[in-house]
Amino acid sequence: MTFSDAQVERYSRHIILSDVGGDGQQKLLSSRVLIIGAGGLGSPIALYLAAAGVGHLGIVDADRVDLSNLQRQIAHYTADVGRLKTESAQEKINAMNPDVSVTLYHERFEAHNAFALMQGYDFVIDGTDSFESKFLINDACVMAKQAFSHGGILRFDGQTFTYAPGHACYRCIFDDLPPKNAVPTCSQAGVLGSIAGMLGTIQATEAIKYLLGVGTGLTDRILSFNAKQMQFRTISVSRNSACKVCSQSPTITKLVNYEAPVCDLKSRGGAA
Amino acid sequence: MRFYDNPPVLAEEQALFVHDLVDYSLGNIDPTKFKAIRVAHGVYEQRQDHTYMIRIRCAAGGLTPEQLRKAAELAEAYGGGEVHFTTRQEIQVHNVTIENLMTVIEGLRSVGLSTRGGGGNTIRNILTPSHSGIRPGDVFDVDPYAMALTTRLIHEPDSWNLPRKFKIAFSTAPDDVSFTQATCLGFVAKMNGDQKGFEVYCSGGMGAKPMVGHLLLAWIPDTEVYAVTRAIKTMFDKHGNRRNRNQNRIKFLWKKIGEEEFKQLFHDEYALVQGKDPLVLPELNNEAQATDLPIETVTGQDFENWKNRYVMAQSQPGLSSILIPLKLGDIYKHHADILCDFLDHFGPNTMRCERAQNIRLRNIPDAYLGNAYRMIQQLDTLSEQPAFIGRMMNCTGAQTCKLGICLPRGLSKAIQKRLIVSDLDFDAIADFRLNMSGCPNTCGMHHIAQLGFFGKVGRKDGDLYPAYNVLAGAKVAAGQTEYAQRVTDIAAHAIPEFVYQFLRDYIAKKDQYATYNAYLDSEGFDLIKALCDQYRDVPAYADDASFYTDFGAKKRLSLEQLGTAECSAGMFDMIDVDQKNMKQIIKALPDTAEPADALKTLLFHTSRMLLVTRGLDPKTDTEVFKLFEKHFVQTELVDKQYSAVVLLGLGSSDALVPHADAVVELANAVMALYKGMDDSLKFKLDDAAGSGHTAQHVTQDFRGVACPMNFVKTKLALEALKSGDSLDVLLDDGEPIENVPNSVQQEGHTIVKKEKVENHWQVTIRKA
Repeated sequence: MTFSDAQVERYSRHIILSDVGGDGQQKLLSSRVLIIGAGGLGSPIALYLAAAGVGHLGIVDADRVDLSNLQRQIAHYTADVGRLKTESAQEKINAMNPDVSVTLYHERFEAHNAFALMQGYDFVIDGTDSFESKFLINDACVMAKQAFSHGGILRFDGQTFTYAPGHACYRCIFDDLPPKNAVPTCSQAGVLGSIAGMLGTIQATEAIKYLLGVGTGLTDRILSFNAKQMQFRTISVSRNSACKVCSQSPTITKLVNYEAPVCDLKSRGGAA
Repeated sequence: MRFYDNPPVLAEEQALFVHDLVDYSLGNIDPTKFKAIRVAHGVYEQRQDHTYMIRIRCAAGGLTPEQLRKAAELAEAYGGGEVHFTTRQEIQVHNVTIENLMTVIEGLRSVGLSTRGGGGNTIRNILTPSHSGIRPGDVFDVDPYAMALTTRLIHEPDSWNLPRKFKIAFSTAPDDVSFTQATCLGFVAKMNGDQKGFEVYCSGGMGAKPMVGHLLLAWIPDTEVYAVTRAIKTMFDKHGNRRNRNQNRIKFLWKKIGEEEFKQLFHDEYALVQGKDPLVLPELNNEAQATDLPIETVTGQDFENWKNRYVMAQSQPGLSSILIPLKLGDIYKHHADILCDFLDHFGPNTMRCERAQNIRLRNIPDAYLGNAYRMIQQLDTLSEQPAFIGRMMNCTGAQTCKLGICLPRGLSKAIQKRLIVSDLDFDAIADFRLNMSGCPNTCGMHHIAQLGFFGKVGRKDGDLYPAYNVLAGAKVAAGQTEYAQRVTDIAAHAIPEFVYQFLRDYIAKKDQYATYNAYLDSEGFDLIKALCDQYRDVPAYADDASFYTDFGAKKRLSLEQLGTAECSAGMFDMIDVDQKNMKQIIKALPDTAEPADALKTLLFHTSRMLLVTRGLDPKTDTEVFKLFEKHFVQTELVDKQYSAVVLLGLGSSDALVPHADAVVELANAVMALYKGMDDSLKFKLDDAAGSGHTAQHVTQDFRGVACPMNFVKTKLALEALKSGDSLDVLLDDGEPIENVPNSVQQEGHTIVKKEKVENHWQVTIRKA
């Protein structure tokens, strides 16, 4: 496969970059990434991966665009209110980079379809806003030996880490779902819109690095920041030998849907 | 205070050296390889096995009292006792045994002194006049440039693997005290209006094939010193002859390609770095430090004589500089302590090594000259003698050097002894340069001598006696340097009387001639010949054996102990050892009854021989086979069919017997590959026996493509090629030619050629 003149020009800043080059750009063009959630995190993730020329993107989201989403979900515009988020996002991606093909999954990521959705992707990105989705994505990826990027935002705070088979998983760090209502959601506590961009672009960067095999990923480390104080820190973590899903003798061996907190009805299984 | 800063990796490199030392002691490293390692750490083996000399960098000759005190302490505890001052403004510690090497090296590091680069193919000590910054009438102080340049260059990893040693010198004025035209790269201070700058000379050098350096640049602003050095260094690295160590100083490159091409290559490199990364100059104050030392007053004719001979008023009012003429360049601990105790009163910037193997003090308040005089009287120096006596230069000679034929230290003493008892007015020739070396190498600077000697072997009826070639008439001045010419030769034992007779004539007639060279041309050369003819008749060994034993030697002259050069690349020695073994085995193989072990040994040498050219350093025998398979077989430098045979080396030697023919073929293929290796260690693949791979050469036209797209396309074109393949790209003039080659180099590829064709450029790139 060779580059067209337009591709050489479009990706020139990547090709110039020592760790990417023409070979790296070819890798990106032949890579497939699944983005779960086309909301606050999913928007910058999808747009930056598309811009970077990641050849195929899958987008999972069941929701429609709501006016209250537009404060942070930058793939969607005012005219898109009421449309499916997946279709709205696809339109922006196509307009930006015709090299990228998109598969839309207008459904929730749940126990029954998890493995089918992940099939054939090189990397998965969690852009959801609920604990039940986050634990489900983790458990599914661990069982399928699938690398993924975890991300979460609330108020002024963000956190992310990258799972790769053999390294610490989400359950090694957070054993299980918090009790109902112990942690508020974005719709209850609010979120600063721009931090969705901060965290989403970090996740996109982790995905690109993983696809290229370049640098040091956030495996066995959690990056967390507080945008109010603008403080970033990384915390080293390690595998938990008693982890419910990734230890030698796991207690979770098949996927089930976890119960959602009762108060969060509007965007269940949806995006941050 | 330090006169240069060591790179942070020095401690690490020295830690690795400790491992190598232990490995060598255990017999795991052969002496040839160990030599290549230790020489780069400034460690030279002396004539006596397992006894070493350590050479210590002193940028611009700078040495603090703290540093000299430490060196002297180490020399007394672990060396021969003396700290030796060299003709290249460094110091050396001699007679260190192998188990004490690291103690000395680490002790030196604790006071900021490095032995790294004392020898080997690297940037050697950078020289300046010992009076830089203090002599009235000088253009300006060049010490800060030499010191900053030293720090910069020893921080650059590519300084450590040049084709050969590289010497740099600075002079403060056109009288060129640092002999910039006898140096690889020389800078002479020169003003342009009120802007500081330098005249630049290049490709000078002494040694067995001396060449006078050429003017490279009439003037550069002082901010360009680094860029010019960088350009020459890169150029030397790329084009220097790595193949033949006798042809690989930069002077040979100038000779080989000529002035025009040399300058073109230089300007191509210089264009890439011009204006970039100017040196950050250290602040170097020549001022007196306040002291409460009580002033000693001395009077009398001896004191006045000493002041006339050895004290120079500095350009800084009220300060004096003092030359201490060492005996043979040596100082011992108890004397060094006395000196350093005295200097402690005046601060750290009070001492320089001087090229005539002496110490020059600076920044001593005039009021303390009496104290200085009394202090120096306690040392064992030549300060009571006329300055000329202490200025005589000599290398260490065969006493310690493996190359030495004669013993110029002994000769120097003998000449001094003869002259001191004479009544000649040596103060009339205070600056006269009488230099001698023990062999044709120029450690004793005989090429720039007004009267010089270098050692040779004389023969009388088959008996060997120490003798010297006689040279005379060198002129030194920026742009006008001429080396001394060889006139004749003379037996070592006749030299003291010869020198006395010659100088008596010259001193008597000096005032009749405008210059020494005018005297030589008119009658001096004839006198030299006539005198040497008088002494030509050496007595037979049976009649006078003393002529056959050198000054200071215990036994009569013999060449048995003469070694090979210590200072040059160990790499080819290592290759040659393998090749020699291979040839011997192949020759003996038909008569070898049970060839299994011989075949294994042959395969081992075959596999190891060229690894060094790829910078590979196998730690075990197994690694030798694996690395060779990976870097020479898989890359198809030799035919891939040999892969299986090479890997048999990992098993028992018996398995090789059925493949004896293949092992021999492979050995011949590797030797053929070496034969086709060019000066920059690249292999000519077409010449290599048994090779099926031909390097590709592709051309791409990127004219009309703007920056940075032309680089993007160049990079993509390179990605399609294999390592070693070549790519020609056509680029527009202007921004493209200024940027693309630079960027390509930063990616690690080699720019083989840049050529302007009509209005565009053709650039040849070799893929890394």
